[in-house]
Formats: sequence, structure tokens, C-alpha cells
Amino acid sequence: MRFTLDPNPTKDTLVDQHHNQRSSHLDRRHLLKLGVASVLATALPGRPLRAESAPESCAPPIPKNHGVSNGGSCPYPIPWLDKNGNHNQSPAPNVDLSNIFHFKGKLARCNGFHGMGTDNKGNRFAWGNPTTDYSYMAGEYWAAREAHQGIFTHT
Amino acid sequence: MTPVPTEGLTFSQDGTTATLQMTNVPIIDQPRWPAMDAETTPAFMDFKLVFKATSEPVKYEDPLRQFRFEGFKANAQLEATFRVPSIDFTFKTDPLDTSKCDFAVMGTEVNGKYYEPPKS
Repeated sequence: MRFTLDPNPTKDTLVDQHHNQRSSHLDRRHLLKLGVASVLATALPGRPLRAESAPESCAPPIPKNHGVSNGGSCPYPIPWLDKNGNHNQSPAPNVDLSNIFHFKGKLARCNGFHGMGTDNKGNRFAWGNPTTDYSYMAGEYWAAREAHQGIFTHT
Repeated sequence: MTPVPTEGLTFSQDGTTATLQMTNVPIIDQPRWPAMDAETTPAFMDFKLVFKATSEPVKYEDPLRQFRFEGFKANAQLEATFRVPSIDFTFKTDPLDTSKCDFAVMGTEVNGKYYEPPKS
């Protein structure tokens, strides 16, 4: 996600396309920009409003005593995006909206948010841009040669 | 992609409204992205995102890429607070119902090994 604060809400701000393949234009003179991107962090979970213990890491375990290794339980990326170094593409009709390959379950995706907000100095800014992009994926995915249940978000 | 605790995602009884809510999600502030040497600063985000499905169905499918999404167009609204502690910066959006988005869908997806192409 790219989250852009624009002190001049009437100005169009063409911003970078995070994790997709379109061209970008950054106008730093007119932007006070807080670019935030989710840490790719299956090992760095967010915390719920009601606290819950952190999920275990999905890193591949190191087999002991010459045991077999089937890889880690991290979700598998979308292959044709991953090969270009991307983990998702901008949501639109007729594109794969999931970040996970070998997945079945509930999915929602949205982008292009618009709104207003206030910083801690009382300044008012417009926020949002075409890549202010959120999703959830809740269901079953296949990794390490077995099915897993999980809920993930792209923010 | 960030794991969501079970309590973080809830649905209305009829399944047409989904609420995703998390706090202290670790993110990065990276103002010079996508520059290759763009520095990052640890930041955190609290957010509440609400999807509401409309009655307009959508289906996106590509047998070559092995995916099928079936669902409905939706409306989505977001409220969030972003914190960058190292520079003492906080930004809080206005309440949820003041935001809007250009594109939203909600439904179900199958892809990869779970995908079966339509029988012709």
C-alpha cells in the first residue's frame, strides 16, 4: 500500500504503484508524503484488539537426523508476479486478486481510497491514492505439501 | 502480507458485510519509494476496514493462470491511524463513513491446485 498525504486536496497526485507494474510519477514538491508499506512479515504479526498469542514462524524447519524437508508453511506467492519481484498487482477486473497461490477461500480487495485526516500537529490533509490497497484472504492454502488454514491481509 | 488473528476478521450473519480490524500492525514509512536506496523507518498502523457487498455479481476467471474469483462488487470504507515513533508523527483519518474507494469486490477465490477449469 502507498498512503499519500496531500496538503492540497484539489491537486491530482499521481503516485507510485506499489507492487505492480505500472509506471510512476512522484511529485515531491507538492506532497507531504507518508509512504507506508506493509512489512512482508508473516513472522511479524499484527495484534488484534483482543490480544492473542503470535502465530509460529512459517520459515522452513531444519530437519534433524536426516529427516525429510517439505519447506515452510508460508503461503506460496502468485508465480507470474513473484518472478518479477512483485507480490500482488493492482486490483481490477479480471486480474487475480489473491496474494496467495494454491488458495481457496474468502477474499475481498479494494483500492483507490479517498478521505481526509489530521496529523498530531493539527494539520488537515487529504489521504489516499490509487494504490491505497487493502485485502483479506481467509481460507485454505497449500504449502509444505499440506493444507493450512489462515487469514491474511495485504495493507 | 500480514497474518490476521481470527478475531480480526468478522462477518455479518448474512455474509454481506466484512470487518477487518487490527492494531499495532508493523509497517514501514518509506517516503522515497520506489528508489532502490529508499530508506525505511519503522511505523505502526491501527485500522478498521469495512466491506459491504452490493447485489452486482462479478466473476473473474483465467484458466491459463488458474484462478477464479466469484463474488459481488462492494463498497469499502477505511479509518486508520498511522504512527512513526522516531519522528513523533501521527496521522489519523476522519471517521470510517467519510472515506470512499474506487474499486472493491468481495467473494470467494480458488486458484492453483484448487482450481478446476470449466468443462467445455
